[in-house]
This record gives sequence, C-alpha cells and structure tokens, in this order.
Amino acid sequence: MGQAFTGWLLDVYDDPQDGVVLWLLDKDGARRRLHQDFPVTFYAAGPASQLRALWRFLVEQPTQVELDRQERRDLFCQEPVTVLCVRVLQPALLPRLFQEAARRFPTLSFYDADLAFSLRYAAVYNTFPLAYCHITTDGQRLQNITVLDSPWDMDPPMPPLRVLSLELDSNPAHASPACLTIRTTLENPRPAYRLPLRPERPLLVNLAAILNRHDPDLLLTTWGDTWLLPHLLALSRRCQIPLPLNRDLTRGLAHRAARSYFSYGRVVHVGQQTLTFGRSHIDRYNAMLFHDYDLTGVLELARVSALSIQTVARTSPGTGISAMQILTALRQGILVPWHKQQAERPKTALDLLRADQGGMVYQPLVGLHANVAEIDFISMYPSIMAHFNISPETVGNHSPCTCLVPQLGICIDQARPGLVPQTLNPLLKKRVALKIRTADLPHWDPRRRLYKERASAHKWLLVTCFGYLGYKNARFGRIEAHEAVTAYGREALLQAKEAAEDLGGLVLHLYVDGLWVKLPGASTVSDYQPLLDEISNRTGLPIGLDGIYRWVAFLPSRVDGRVPVPNRYFGVFQDGSLKMRGIEARRGDTPPFIAQTQLAMLERMAQVPEVAQLPGCLPDLLGLLRGRLASLRRRRVPLPDLVVSQKLSRRLDEYRTPSPAARAAAQLESTGKSLQPGQRVRFLYALGDPGVYAWDLPIPPDPACLDLARYAELLLRAGATILQPLGVSEATLRDWLFNNAGYGSCPGVLPLNSSLTGLQL
Amino acid sequence: MGRTLPSITQAFLQEQQSFARFRRALRRSDQLVLDDLFAAAHQHLAAAAYAAHSLPFETFLLAMLMEEHKEVLRLRGLVEDLLDHQG
Repeated sequence: MGQAFTGWLLDVYDDPQDGVVLWLLDKDGARRRLHQDFPVTFYAAGPASQLRALWRFLVEQPTQVELDRQERRDLFCQEPVTVLCVRVLQPALLPRLFQEAARRFPTLSFYDADLAFSLRYAAVYNTFPLAYCHITTDGQRLQNITVLDSPWDMDPPMPPLRVLSLELDSNPAHASPACLTIRTTLENPRPAYRLPLRPERPLLVNLAAILNRHDPDLLLTTWGDTWLLPHLLALSRRCQIPLPLNRDLTRGLAHRAARSYFSYGRVVHVGQQTLTFGRSHIDRYNAMLFHDYDLTGVLELARVSALSIQTVARTSPGTGISAMQILTALRQGILVPWHKQQAERPKTALDLLRADQGGMVYQPLVGLHANVAEIDFISMYPSIMAHFNISPETVGNHSPCTCLVPQLGICIDQARPGLVPQTLNPLLKKRVALKIRTADLPHWDPRRRLYKERASAHKWLLVTCFGYLGYKNARFGRIEAHEAVTAYGREALLQAKEAAEDLGGLVLHLYVDGLWVKLPGASTVSDYQPLLDEISNRTGLPIGLDGIYRWVAFLPSRVDGRVPVPNRYFGVFQDGSLKMRGIEARRGDTPPFIAQTQLAMLERMAQVPEVAQLPGCLPDLLGLLRGRLASLRRRRVPLPDLVVSQKLSRRLDEYRTPSPAARAAAQLESTGKSLQPGQRVRFLYALGDPGVYAWDLPIPPDPACLDLARYAELLLRAGATILQPLGVSEATLRDWLFNNAGYGSCPGVLPLNSSLTGLQL
Repeated sequence: MGRTLPSITQAFLQEQQSFARFRRALRRSDQLVLDDLFAAAHQHLAAAAYAAHSLPFETFLLAMLMEEHKEVLRLRGLVEDLLDHQG
C-alpha cells in the first residue's frame, strides 16, 4: 500500500540484492530503510571493431546489461563522441564488470566508470546527504523521492541526528587502552557510560545494548578506524556476540587499507578506514581537517559535494571539489573520463618560460612598519576562474567571443559557461554569504562558530580547486587553464600595486593574493576604502581589507640578514589581535614551551598602543625571557611542554642521515611500534646518543637526561626572532641572556633611529 | 606537483653558484662586496620572474645596478644636505 512522508536522507548505497538502499530519517523520528531499482551506466569509446567486440563480450556475461549506441559530449573534444552505452541493471555489479571489460579492452576509452555511487544517485534525483525530501513508497520500495531543499540554502532544516561518541582513554599506538567512554550527546561533556575493555563479553553485551537503545545516526569515535572498530569486530566474532555497529544488519563493515601519499610538499598518512552501512562512522583522528572545520564542516562538505558523510570526512577537499565537478558533468550529460588522456599542448620555450610561473611573491621591505593595511583578494583563484570563465574546455578554444590571457596570449572562450566556473559559482556565493552573516552576528552568538566552520569547509574546497585544475590526472584538469589562472592572478596583483602607488601609497609586500600597503596619513578603514574601490574597479575581482596593522615586522632570512623572506612576519592589528607567519610559534614542530614564550612576548608587545613606544617594553621582554630560561634550567618546565612533534617524511631505511624524528622513530621501532611516512613522532632532546628520547617509549623519560642547552638555544632563537625588529641581534641577545651582559643604554630610551631597523612611522 | 622549469629562486641560486670559482679567487674583502651585489639582486626576484627573460642573469645584473643607483641617489641626497647645511 502506498505511503508518503517527509524526512532527511541519511545514507544511500548500492546493494547486491536490493539495487539501491536508502536510509531516511522520518520527520516523526523513525529511521526507515527503503530500496529501489537503480540501473547505472558506463560508456566506452574507440574503434568500431573494438566496440563490437566489447558488445559481444558483454552480452555473454552473466551480469544483466542493456546496450546501446549513443552520441555524447566529451569535454575535451569539439565533436560529440560515439560511445557504447552499457546500462547495468544491478548497480553493485558494475565495478566487477567494468574491471573485466577494461582488462580485456585496454585500448578503449571508458567514461563514467568509477564514480562514487552517491554521485550517480545525486545526478538523477538531486539528492545529497541530509537532504530534506518528500518520499512516496510502496511498502519497503521507494517509488519517488523529491528533494525539498538545496545544498546552497543558508539555513536548511537540519535533522535531529542522534550521535554516539565512543572515546578510548589512550592512543592504542602508544599504550593499550583500558576503557571506553560513551557520550550520547555532544553538547554534554559528561559521559553517559564508561565500559572497561576487559572482560570482553560484558563489554560486547553492554555496547550492543547501548547501540540498540540509542540507534545512532552517527558514530563519532577516537581511533575507531585504526583500532577500535576492527578490535570490537574481532571480539564480536571470537565471542560470537553480535554487535550492531552497522544499522543495516545485512551488511558487514567495509574496510579500506592505510596509505601514505605526497601532497603539496608534505607526506600525508591516512590510517586504515572502517566504514558502516545505514549510519555514518567518523574517526576524529583519521578524518581530514576535522580540527579545522569539525562535524559542522564535514556535514556541510557532504551536502555540497553529494559524497557520503563518512567518505567526505576521510578524503581530501580535492576529492570533494572533484565530486562537485563530476556532478555538474553528469547532470549536463558530459562524459566523465575514467583515465584522462589529454596531453599538454606543445609550446615554445619562451611560452613555457612565461607560462610556467606561480603567483607573484615579492621580497618585502624588511623592518618594522606602522599603520599598514593588509588587503586580500577574496578567494582569488576561484574568483578568477569564475570571472574569466576558466575551465579546461574554454581555455585555448577559439570562438567569436574570446578574451586573451594577459602575458600568455592564450584565448578563453566566453560564449558559454565552463564546467569549472559553473561548479564554483554557487560555492563562491555561499561562502561570501556565510562570511557576511558571520560578520553581522555578535561575538557571543553560537551561530558564529557554526558559520565559520562551514565557511572554512568551503575555503578548502575552493583552495584545492585551483590545484586540481593543473593536476594532470584530475578528470577536469588542464595545465593551460591552471597557467591562465596564475597569469590573471599576477596581473590582478600588479594592477592592485599600481592602484596603490597611483594613490601615493608604499607597497611593502605582495604575496600571491594579498598586498601590504601604507597610504600616507591613512590609519582607518575608511581611509583605505578608496584604494579598495579602485582595485576592485581595475581588476573586476572581489577584494577585502583583512585589517590595519598597528605595526607589522617583516623579517629577513636567518641565514643572510640582507635577504628578505616572503612569508616570515608578525604584527598587531588595531584591535590588538596578533598575526604571525613563518615564525617558531606557528611551526608544528616547535615545543609548546618555546611557542608559548614567543606568544607571551608578542602579547606583551601587543599591549603597546603606539609603535614608537615598542622599545619601552624591551626590559619586560628580556625579563620574560630570563624568567623562562631560569625555569628551564631549574627543570621547572613540565616535560610535555618540551615535546617536539615532527612528521616522518620517508621510511626509516630511506634516511641517509637520520633526522632527530627518524632517530626517535627508530627507538620506537625497536620496541615494536612502527610509524609510517606522514605520521608524527614525538620526542624530547636528550643528552648522549642518539640525542633524542621518543615520548611514546614504554619507559617514561628521565628528566635528568634533558638536553637543556639545546632547549636554551631554541629559546634564544625564538626570542631573537621577536626582538630583531627592535634592533636586537641574536648575538646581542645571547650576551644578554647567557653571558649576563647589561644593556647598552638605559631601557626604554633606546634612540629610535639606531635601534629600530628600517622603522617606517 | 612538479615544475618543468626551475623557479626564479632556483635560477638565481644556480647563477650565483656558477660564479663560485670566480668568488673563490677574489680577495676576502672583494668576496663580501660580491655577496652584497647578489643580495641586492635577490630583492627583485619577483620582478625577474615576471619578466620571464630567457637569460635571467641579465635581469639580475640590472637589479644589482638598480640597487647601486639607489645607493648613489641616497648618498647624493646626503651630500647635498650636508652642502646646504655648510653653505
């Protein structure tokens, strides 16, 4: 008998028996499992004889398929492509059938072959995770689904999700956990249950009861991927006590192997993954950027990318933006290549010289500068793609309506909107809308944090979109499009520089999408507004004032004091907030004690209202440093504050000269704890060989073995970084701190012209 | 994330390295002067990159000259100030 209801889509996946399974949260609170027939399609193109052979092969297979010849659009071809359309009636059987076809017919080009199932479903029904839908059913069979909201809604009706948090009392990589803490709401920090991990049978019985009673939509765990869920599953099998980790009891847990990969100059490690059916599982410590955008950001990413919640939590934002592009393509009937085969177009050496450049990065004017505005292009590269219609199919395409890329002379077709700009436009609009809403809310409003987390998730999507445009293996990447974006970026930044100079300003620094400018006599937001308007007029791109610094210090290279470094600076905005880049306090491998000292110095400097009074706080800063040094030498600094945390960049046997991190990892390995490239190793600097002591060794470190001189040196360097713009060199500070030398002149009356290097008041 | 061409910073360091033998044969005092010239050129790497000259060292030489000329202008200003003061 037919039935209708409204509710939220929790999960959708293919099923060997039921076609597609959908889990829905009815508005009345019930969780419903429905199924539906949902054939899926892949395509093959190539020589007619090969296609005929593929046809014959497919009809002989036991998998039920419908075959057809069609003309479809390949983004990289001007003319439509003739393809063999393979419609697989049972979606779960597609991957195996396709792999066999690809193995037997390696010369054919395949399309729409390896797409995430949620994207295929989203392309047809406009669904996305947590979409608010109207559903009609016939018993357990879904008849129709209509989505009532959009991923671009600012405040969509959100489902009352039931979250169950499972937290271990220690990191299993370092020590055997003993207890499982369970919370039933994230808002309440008090645990609802504490279950000892041993004995095992009561643990399983109790946990099964809790899972059955609360029936969570989302399992939020610590080390759930890498240890907890596999461990529980093994126990459940051994003790023969079923554990309903899945909501769909017809399915087992899905696993994906651990891997390390290289991305943006860093080695990243993703642990083994354990995925559930009918509910989502997120491991806080195996989720991408969870510390940055939290659960709110993950849900937002899932909504806009249409990837499942647990997939999007574990993959890089690049996968998210790629999914969005695939969705745009699927909805417009554009073929999604399995393996892209486009090579870079030939160019002359001179063309390559002009094109193969990144963003413009200046060498800043080293020294201390007052009343400096930091002006940023808002989401510069995505805005350029959207504004100039940069997409793989529009770049280099001659049409009656083209524009030329500055410096490169490549033409960009403006006649019809490109796939990448179409994908980006709603995202850019929503990010700006979220930022405006956040700015309008008072500081105490809890929605501020939520909006910020959502905006942060968008930021990562937008950032990676540019990288993917130039990535040769990206399905919709084309290096010429990537080069066009950076060329427009350099042009926009130079136009901004010229605008500032035309208004009489001094450009202190340019960095890809931002500029640091000092206009004569300007010190307020309204003083800088004419410049912002002028830049926006000249470039056509959105621009914003990040803030006005009370003062900012650009630092030189540590190796050569005459050479400026583009991304090493610190400053204080007019509202007293600090901004720093490239200094010790920002580095992930700085011990907390050193970072806290540097921050304390900066906070002291931030209390000074006028830049001219900065030398006056020198005695305080030195006093602070001396105090910290004394605490260190008297061993009053807690050991955890001295822990250095560094990532392994390669396997241990690949180090020619082992770094301190590698030596610490070797210590761990000798006790049976192995670490992979991309994983962090924590250690203390210690006396004697090998100079380090791994923090996670079974025997706690002996405080007497600390290499105090090394830590004192780190403290000195961190202090010197901050004092350098006040005219105090590292050598002078060394004398002051270690050799107990006095000041050259009375504190607080240091002459401005000699002590403040390059001060621009 | 590979680059087909060396970045301007890499090109600069290669050019500097190619003068290592020249530098070694200089007197210590002259070595320091040469280092100053290269440090001066380093300040204009962004412009050198944007220029995309097929012989980047020509751009670096121009950058060294620019910094030298800036110094000349600065000193000229100082001398004129002193003369005004005396006169």
